[in-house]
Amino acid sequence: MTDDPIADLLLAVAAQDRVAFRKLYTDAGSKLMGVLIRMLGSRAEAEDALQEVFTRVWLRAGRYDATKGRGMTWLIALSRYHAIDKIRARPDHVSDDLAIEAAADTAPRAETRLVAMGEARRIGECFDTLEPDRAAALRGAYLEGHSYVDLAARHDVPLNTMRTWLRRSLLKLRECMDA
Amino acid sequence: MSPLAPKDEDADLLAAEYVLGVLDLVERAGAEVLLKNDSQFAARVADWEGRLAGLNDGYAAAALPDLMAKIEARLFAQAPKRRWFADLRLWGGVAAAAVAVVVYLAVTPPKPELTATLSADQGALQFAAVITQNHLTITRIAGDVADAAHSHQLWIIVGANPPVSLGVIPAEGETISLPGAVAGAILAVSLEQPGGSPTGQPTGPIVAKGALVKA
Repeated sequence: MTDDPIADLLLAVAAQDRVAFRKLYTDAGSKLMGVLIRMLGSRAEAEDALQEVFTRVWLRAGRYDATKGRGMTWLIALSRYHAIDKIRARPDHVSDDLAIEAAADTAPRAETRLVAMGEARRIGECFDTLEPDRAAALRGAYLEGHSYVDLAARHDVPLNTMRTWLRRSLLKLRECMDA
Repeated sequence: MSPLAPKDEDADLLAAEYVLGVLDLVERAGAEVLLKNDSQFAARVADWEGRLAGLNDGYAAAALPDLMAKIEARLFAQAPKRRWFADLRLWGGVAAAAVAVVVYLAVTPPKPELTATLSADQGALQFAAVITQNHLTITRIAGDVADAAHSHQLWIIVGANPPVSLGVIPAEGETISLPGAVAGAILAVSLEQPGGSPTGQPTGPIVAKGALVKA
């Protein structure tokens, strides 16, 4: 047992525990659904993606290592990567502003917020060291799956400029987070 | 933290860009190959996942649809026990219809030993493969079944050897005996004429592929 209930469920799922799998769906599904709606921009697409994500959770739970990070962080990473692959595979993948409007419809559950608060405060302080437009570009990339191409168009700068901006910001962020 | 050597700095930035999600499809695929084969790169990705995890608070929870029955049907429903090549005519006739994707697993499923995700370079087609106790289970987890004029045929490629056919994949997936599979072997699905390649080697395009990794 760990002090992370989602991690405990993932370890049980890795041992093929179907009851734990259902509980994981109930406990973590709302947050992952929120991630997928925000990134994919439609509830219908997010529902398809959520099925795919939980299929992969069952097949890949054995790769989760509780010493490397929190269970929810691992689940959100898996969901985000699936959403990003879907977005990038679109014929014209310039993101849709609807994604923002379609974003999740209920407030985060209190316990999810508490878990994230420590991490969020830290990264918030480090984001404050970045120039505001670059911090916004980073946040948009992470939360909505914008590519370099999308970001360059949105911020009206050449692609290479955007790449240089973000890379410098990432280095600054690493320095601040690891300090 | 002190700056890294230039080569390490590039790898670390690539890991950051991968986690952030800004790479295009090709760059992403390149990062994923590194992720699977380079434990140092995988550690960098994990570090960045941790650093950026605070942003996850920006995702609000959403109403949860009740999809568990569908997910369980996909993962656990008992597939009809058919012989590998049996009933080709029968399922060929219904292949165009949407058939629920199911995976055969024993009632108390043994732990998988090797797994692979077979993905398309282009398009949504994706298969999951699990090897346990010398049996391979393959199931389509995304994308469409082959149209009535084609079959999906599964191959295994070990090292520099030519592909060995594992047969045509029925629409609902299949479990077959496959002793001696090793991590690193490649599973690939080619698009063939109905019933499979007439030559014993792939004749159509590879539509999905992936390497077997230890589960």
